[in-house]
Amino acid sequence: MKKALTSALVAACATVLAACGSSGSSGSNGLSGGSSASAGGGATVASKLVLGGSPEFKTRTDGVPGLQRVYGVTFGSYKTLDAGGPLTINALKNGQIDAGDIFTTDPSIPANGFVVLQDPKNLYAAQNVLPLINKAKATPGVSSTLNAVSAKLDTNTLAQLDVHVITDKQDPDAVAKGWLASVGLNKTGTAAQGASIKIGSANFQESVLLAEIYAEALRAQGANITTRLNIGSRETYIPGLKDGSIDLIPEYSGVLLQFFDPKATAVSSADVYAALQKAVPAPLTVLDQSSAEDKDAIVVTKTTADKYHLTSIADLAKNG
Amino acid sequence: MIQWLNDPGNWTAQGGIFDQLWAHLQYALIALVVAIVLALPLGLLIGHTGRGRWLVTVANAVRSLPVLGLLILLYVMLAPHIHGRGDTVYLLPTEIVLILLAVPPLLASTVAGVENVDPAVRDAAAGMGMRGGQVVRKVELPNALPLVFSGLRSATLQVIATATVAAYLGLGGLGRFVYDGQASQNFAERNAGALLVALLAVVADLLLAVAQRYTVSRGVSGRFSSRPDASTSAEGGPPELPAPPATHTA
Repeated sequence: MKKALTSALVAACATVLAACGSSGSSGSNGLSGGSSASAGGGATVASKLVLGGSPEFKTRTDGVPGLQRVYGVTFGSYKTLDAGGPLTINALKNGQIDAGDIFTTDPSIPANGFVVLQDPKNLYAAQNVLPLINKAKATPGVSSTLNAVSAKLDTNTLAQLDVHVITDKQDPDAVAKGWLASVGLNKTGTAAQGASIKIGSANFQESVLLAEIYAEALRAQGANITTRLNIGSRETYIPGLKDGSIDLIPEYSGVLLQFFDPKATAVSSADVYAALQKAVPAPLTVLDQSSAEDKDAIVVTKTTADKYHLTSIADLAKNG
Repeated sequence: MIQWLNDPGNWTAQGGIFDQLWAHLQYALIALVVAIVLALPLGLLIGHTGRGRWLVTVANAVRSLPVLGLLILLYVMLAPHIHGRGDTVYLLPTEIVLILLAVPPLLASTVAGVENVDPAVRDAAAGMGMRGGQVVRKVELPNALPLVFSGLRSATLQVIATATVAAYLGLGGLGRFVYDGQASQNFAERNAGALLVALLAVVADLLLAVAQRYTVSRGVSGRFSSRPDASTSAEGGPPELPAPPATHTA
């Protein structure tokens, strides 16, 4: 009875929807509507595509307006979904949108074979992963240990590790140990012997994972480590770093620079890092940055990338 | 906020207030029509036969599910089965959620309305030779109408207020202003959106009150009744409704 009721409900719903589908879909039929609306000189690739992302992405300076300003890319239409969450990912997977604003280390990217379009003009400011540490704790041995970790870490690696932690729900500490072993950083040594370091993390999975990676790498070098994970947001843990409640936390270069210097304009990886080194206030310092970045990206499916030969956001502005 | 509402561009632009108001009404109407089609016959049947009362309990239990969570769950479950660019994949979960909200008050009030029909009236109808279906149509439904309307008004209020979540799934509706305003920290837009939703709900409720006044038989609404509260309705005001059953208070 209950089952019959449910299916009747769905059927009734579908019928009504089919009835109003003809009027409702006229606005969202991007294929015909989009290409005719594009600027002169033929239809661009982007004008045939639907972009999806968070509500603020539609209006914020590095969102839809930024794509137009920096790359001359105007999508056929914009679908307001969520900030790289289940809505955007599912819509991209199932073809309701052709491109989505998703974060570069999102586990859905390796899981679905999505293609991250390159951002050669740095529309999105660099967000390299790096350790933010209390200067007094950054002994040469500690620094060299963490720098060795950063040297091995890149965006693809981090995305893969996120799959284990976020999708497969594996223990972040075990994932950290496994990765360090796979790149040969688990060898015990004495570089950080005698150091006593309290490691914190922000309250999201990737930050926890990175904190565990730092922790295990330093432990292998003889440091005495305690962890305080899932602390909260930057507003909470930066004062904690300054007053010594914690000594070390994984951070992202672009947002950290904005936090210390809201007027900063640097966007490229090297510029952001240079500006950040100057902007970090007294008791703190940043160590070497890794090439791993977790930032906004325009992501398409493999099929779309192959069909229009897309590797960079700039390719979307070409006629296709 | 007043300034935002006073800007004519915000009303007439593509995706402006008029567009979203219309979209909002469409989402709400689809849900209400489907809910009436489902709940009214079912409620009459349950009330008439006295069987299947547990369905009312089940329907009420469904209301305790969090709307936004259910919406995302349904979307993630349905999305792999619906391809292409249309809005169906967003509309279907939204409408299911709204229907699930609208059915319980309608069902509960219809059942209660039929059950509360004076047994003497029902006996009289049977005595006049009416068959089951005729009793339902000619006696039980008209007598239950005030309670059915109270359920419909409660359902309408909830559906109009909750249709705001359509915007969360990338659809339009007045919720668009609430979500977009919140996301871009345009609080005037957000507050105006919320105000418009509230106004729409109140206006819809008033319209239904008027419809109720002209649909419900005057005999039922109390004019010829011997109930002590008959005097209030005799003055021409909207009929005094019997207290709704405890199960359908929100």
